[in-house]
Amino acid sequence: MEVILPKDMLLEVIVALVSFLVLFGVLGKFAFPSIIKMLDERSDKIRESLEKAEDTRIEAERMLEDYKTQMAEARQESAKVIEQGRKVAETMKAEIVAKAAEESAALLAKAREEIGAEKRAAMAELQASVADLSVAVAGKLIGSTLSVKDHEKLIEQFVAEVGSLNGN
Amino acid sequence: MEVLGERVNVLLEELMVHKITGLPLTNYGFFLLIAFTVTLVFFLIASRKVAMVPKGIGNVAEAGVEFVRDNIVMDVIGPEGKPYLPFILTVFFFVLFNNLIGLIPGFKPGTGTMGTTVAWAVMVFLVYNWIGISKHGAWGYLKSFYPKGVVAPLAVFVMLLELISHFIRPLTLSVRLFANMFAGHVILGIFGIFTVILFEASVAGKVMTLLPVAMQIIMYAFELFVAFIQAYVFAILTSVYISGAIHAGEH
Repeated sequence: MEVILPKDMLLEVIVALVSFLVLFGVLGKFAFPSIIKMLDERSDKIRESLEKAEDTRIEAERMLEDYKTQMAEARQESAKVIEQGRKVAETMKAEIVAKAAEESAALLAKAREEIGAEKRAAMAELQASVADLSVAVAGKLIGSTLSVKDHEKLIEQFVAEVGSLNGN
Repeated sequence: MEVLGERVNVLLEELMVHKITGLPLTNYGFFLLIAFTVTLVFFLIASRKVAMVPKGIGNVAEAGVEFVRDNIVMDVIGPEGKPYLPFILTVFFFVLFNNLIGLIPGFKPGTGTMGTTVAWAVMVFLVYNWIGISKHGAWGYLKSFYPKGVVAPLAVFVMLLELISHFIRPLTLSVRLFANMFAGHVILGIFGIFTVILFEASVAGKVMTLLPVAMQIIMYAFELFVAFIQAYVFAILTSVYISGAIHAGEH
């Protein structure tokens, strides 16, 4: 029985109580609060970080969505610009070709006209000189015996011949 | 057999409470003060080493404090238990450090004597009843022992049983802790005696020595487990009693 209920029990009770109270007082004031505070701070911080990460993720997704939309818009825009450019170029090409054809036709017509005029002038000159020449030749051959009337007759006949030649 | 009895007597004599001559301390009180110093120094250092990124001794202390807060106080009492957290922390860690220090060969647990355990159990009894009285008033707290919806004579009897069970609480609380710690040391001592007796006996006995040595190792591991369990039980019962006092009259 002495083992279970010691004779110095009161002494032990006092030692146990006093040391407990001192420990409670000191640790309760200087040790536990800072540890508990750190535990709370850490869980707050983790919660905050998680919330922040979630917000950032949502923001990033939103931005990605924006970029995708912008990208699609830009692509559409560029396709439109290219299409427009092609149309303009084709129009211009057609215009240039038409103009060139027109110009060359005009040039051809003009050239043809000029050639015609030259030919007519040359023809007239030739008729004149042929007439003079034939009068001279005829005069020499027949010894200027032809009267003026005969001359004219001859000339007309000749010119008609030459004219018919020309007409061919 | 005579040798065994003699040696067991020596063991029990060793485990008995002695006053240390010249000091106002018993042999258990001496180790209690060692545990006191270790607990104090451990937490004072650890509380200065806590950091946002947990590390080292600060992390150990934090894990312990978090365990008591979440698994004892919050689970048993709930958020109203927060003001009593430092008290329950002190109860748990002082008991735990005493139990653990007693496991160092040659040391004794400060909790291995009735003087200590009775002191703390009575303290717990006073604390939780004081909480009950300050929460509900003396009359209100006393009334909470009177069961509702029970016919008068039976109710008085139930109330009497309730009161008796309350007064038995410090007894069970103190004896449980003391007996576990004391008996653990007796068992370790007995296997030690077996080892010595077998080793001093015949050659066959020397081989047999391995048995109690193996047993001693197993029991030592078990005692380590008991050291934690008893600290846990003491702290959780303290919480249960406090919770009962806070929520008195609600059931």
